[in-house]
Amino acid sequence: MIETARTTRAAGIEVRGVSMRYGNAEAGATLALKDVSLSIAPGSFFVLVGPSGCGKSSLLMMMTGLLQPTSGQILCGGQAMDKPYPDRAGVVFQEANLYPWLTAQKNVEFPLMLKGIPQEERSRRAIEALDLVGLAGFAQRHPHELSGGMKQRVSIARGLVQQPAVLLMDEPFAALDEQTRLTMGDELLRIWERTGQTIVFVTHSLTEAVYLADEIAVMSARPGQLMEIVAVDLPRPRSLEMMGTPEYAGLRNRIWQLIRNPAGPGHEH
Amino acid sequence: MKTSRWSAALLHPITFFAAAIAVWEAAARAGVVDPILLPSASQVAQVLAQLLGQAGTWEAIGVTALETLGAFLIAVPAGMLIGWFLAENRYWGAVFKPLFYFLFSIPKSIFLPMFILAVGIGLEQKIAFGVFSTIFIVVMSISTAIESVSGRHRLVAECYGASRRQIALHVFLPSMLPAILETLRLAMVFNFTGIILAEMYVSRAGIGHLLERWGQNYMLPQLMAGVVIVSCAAIVFNESLRALENKFGHWRASR
Repeated sequence: MIETARTTRAAGIEVRGVSMRYGNAEAGATLALKDVSLSIAPGSFFVLVGPSGCGKSSLLMMMTGLLQPTSGQILCGGQAMDKPYPDRAGVVFQEANLYPWLTAQKNVEFPLMLKGIPQEERSRRAIEALDLVGLAGFAQRHPHELSGGMKQRVSIARGLVQQPAVLLMDEPFAALDEQTRLTMGDELLRIWERTGQTIVFVTHSLTEAVYLADEIAVMSARPGQLMEIVAVDLPRPRSLEMMGTPEYAGLRNRIWQLIRNPAGPGHEH
Repeated sequence: MKTSRWSAALLHPITFFAAAIAVWEAAARAGVVDPILLPSASQVAQVLAQLLGQAGTWEAIGVTALETLGAFLIAVPAGMLIGWFLAENRYWGAVFKPLFYFLFSIPKSIFLPMFILAVGIGLEQKIAFGVFSTIFIVVMSISTAIESVSGRHRLVAECYGASRRQIALHVFLPSMLPAILETLRLAMVFNFTGIILAEMYVSRAGIGHLLERWGQNYMLPQLMAGVVIVSCAAIVFNESLRALENKFGHWRASR
């Protein structure tokens, strides 16, 4: 585990003037993102929030390299994400999206298998990653034998197994019940403290955003634009008791006001 | 626990089967049924043993096996290719899938006379009709199986840099494997039915031909022995594939 922490190198992400248009001009294109620029510091926990349809998931998909912006550029560690680079960025989705025919361990090994890494090393690294997410004893289980939270842990282990510089998470806990969601948030912070890569986390829960983040990018509804980046100066390690403090409530409220009353006309929804 | 469930699953059908045979034997011996229409189980068993000792029977089995295998080996790959093509190409899928559904719903036996006129009554005709009976179920099952592969499963593989080949091999194939085995099983049911029907309709060889002749001549013990032979072949193939389906599809049941 110490090895995992040591070998991980975090990378920053630069989003430069990114716009995203879906569909073609004649058929009435939708502008999902408009001229978004932001800079994510290496090793930081960066959260994207905004109303549904603000393009935050699209932005995250562009960071994976799977989706290309209509204009603008995304750099990870100074290099363009013009296609998926699995050793730069691991991805965790809202649904765990595990392969039901594979065991937990084989699911975690999957990215390594695609790269043709020998079986012995694959197993060792997958078991390490499962240990990191607290599932050491469940390596041989199939997804249907695991709870929702456990499946998502396997998915996080799969995202971390290549020790990527960045972990991209698209509403990873949205499908879980409230209690599991809070525990998973704590778990993620604990893992992040050990591995130290940059995390970009999309959520629609402001409570979750403030609890996890170093910085929160607040986005407006369609077309998605960056409204403000809110720095969260709460001390770490975070604890659930902090949720009762005025600082916490103040931050949460400020973001809520931003989302509810976006500046300028034509933004109400 | 496991063994007792196993024995329950095996023992009960066997018990009932044995009971049915016993009732049949008793009814035949007591003269409750017409011995011409229903010979006793022991008599059928005797005839079966005799038939299996004759070269002619094995020749007929060989002919039928050859036809069945030939039609299967043509219809399954061809049907899979067409099914894959229709699933992957939206335009051709939209055009041809309804046509395949229409054709699937028509009883294939009504085309048998046309097959005889066009291809004759030999081996080729049996294979052609077997292919015709089988290909529609393969096309439809495979295109449905391809379409039901989860887009999210594909997305994950793409995020981790999988090539097209890797996606086919590590996402589509394992995801579709239980459906493919199920398709093979159904294909064989349709195929075997088509071949036997074609043999019984007009032919000079094959087990279907023997069945038809025995029936025409009131040779009930032989006819029933023939039924046993055909049933055994069909059941063995079907159950082997079902066992494979369970082995590779265990994750499917409780998803």
